[in-house]
Amino acid sequence: MPKKTTSEIIKMDNVCFNLDNKQILKDLSLSVNRGDKILIKGKSGAGKTTVFRSILGFQPISSGTILFKGEGLNSELVWNIRKKVAYVSQECDIGEGIVIDMIKEMFSYRSTASKFDNKKLLSMFAELSLSESILHKKFEFLSGGEKQRLAIIISILTQKDIFFLDEVTSDLDSTLKKKVVDIFYSNPQWTIISISHDPEWVRQDVNIFDFEKLQEGE
Amino acid sequence: MMQTYAISPLGMFFCLLLLLIPMSLSYYLKLRFVRSTIVSTLRMLIQLGLVGIFLTVVFEINNSFLNILWVMIMVIVASHSVLKNAELKISSLILPLIISFTTTNILILLYFNSFVIGLGNVFEARYFIPIGGMVLGNSLRANIVAINDFCNEIQRNENRYLYHLSLGAEKNEALIPYLRKSVRNALKPTLANIATIGIVFLPGMMTGQILGGASPLIAIEYQVAIMIAIYVATMMNVVLGIVLLMNRGFDDYGMFKKSILRPQE
Repeated sequence: MPKKTTSEIIKMDNVCFNLDNKQILKDLSLSVNRGDKILIKGKSGAGKTTVFRSILGFQPISSGTILFKGEGLNSELVWNIRKKVAYVSQECDIGEGIVIDMIKEMFSYRSTASKFDNKKLLSMFAELSLSESILHKKFEFLSGGEKQRLAIIISILTQKDIFFLDEVTSDLDSTLKKKVVDIFYSNPQWTIISISHDPEWVRQDVNIFDFEKLQEGE
Repeated sequence: MMQTYAISPLGMFFCLLLLLIPMSLSYYLKLRFVRSTIVSTLRMLIQLGLVGIFLTVVFEINNSFLNILWVMIMVIVASHSVLKNAELKISSLILPLIISFTTTNILILLYFNSFVIGLGNVFEARYFIPIGGMVLGNSLRANIVAINDFCNEIQRNENRYLYHLSLGAEKNEALIPYLRKSVRNALKPTLANIATIGIVFLPGMMTGQILGGASPLIAIEYQVAIMIAIYVATMMNVVLGIVLLMNRGFDDYGMFKKSILRPQE
């Protein structure tokens, strides 16, 4: 086998994932290179989120292999992956309490402490039509759309360049959806894997993985 | 010295009769406490009966080694009780918990007996055992609250915890907010007790000393000292307990080990 080029970030080979005797993922193979823009589609329960969770080490896979930059997933590597991948989950269950305190906590970790950029934060608030007043509200009381935009902004503030985005535009109106997609697709260096039903994510040069077809193709 | 009235067997019967109130409430509200009320009361009767006999002997012999042994037994029972009530598997944490309980409580007790009371023999049975029991009993309750709270929160807010890991937080960095919350919840009642003492309730020890004929002033001195000892020991025990859980309760991937929980029937 030829040596993999360094631009390959993620490689999944014949990955299966079973939960309570039910097969969630079956023989999934996927290769992601630096700068790729990938859209994952498919009905709920098709195991889309499981792909993210298994790469981040939140869920052990049943069989198959996952490589990150050529290295097999293990308990040391996952901590490294988590420092390199920005993950925005579907539930947007990212914290509680006053928003600004929550953000400060997120940027108090050893790996994030130097990354916080207040100017960038405020400019992104303006860009995504978020009122600065929500910084002083409780996160629990924000609307679904506000939570989503906040989670998106935080993911960008972490200054990572690999993004796992799980239905991050579902609660936004179409203008905002387009804006968010523009932001993520505009940087050629960024590797974007997005799970979404929104047509805004479908563009030229975007690789589409349809899980329904993959799973039925057997 | 004033005489303390002994409770007569008839008086004790009347006292036990009161238990019909919580038992009928439990029955009608389906709290499922009827059985445990009976079991707990029976256990108390037997344990205190035995302890009464035992303490009479221990106080008479007053041998330091025996006193320490007795406190160690209390520590082991307390650790077991914490894990059982927090619905964790006993084997998961029992040893580290015993070690943590022993160190913190013995340290506090030694400090208390030598510097606060100024005893010649710090292992003097009449002080070492009952004060040890009070400190231990209180930190026991707080530990159950804290460990329970921590395990529940980490499971209920699993996604939030995972999100913080995905931000690049180390395990301990992501768990600190949970530690903070559990410790606060566990210590709140202790602090509230300290703040309302004397007004809202007269604590058991003070009542005991006054009933036993001590002057209220001495009783108050002791009460202040013991409350501080309880607060300090409880805080140390609770924090240590959670730190142990943080180290033992998570795998190399930072995932909470559901295997340390006792399976629900």
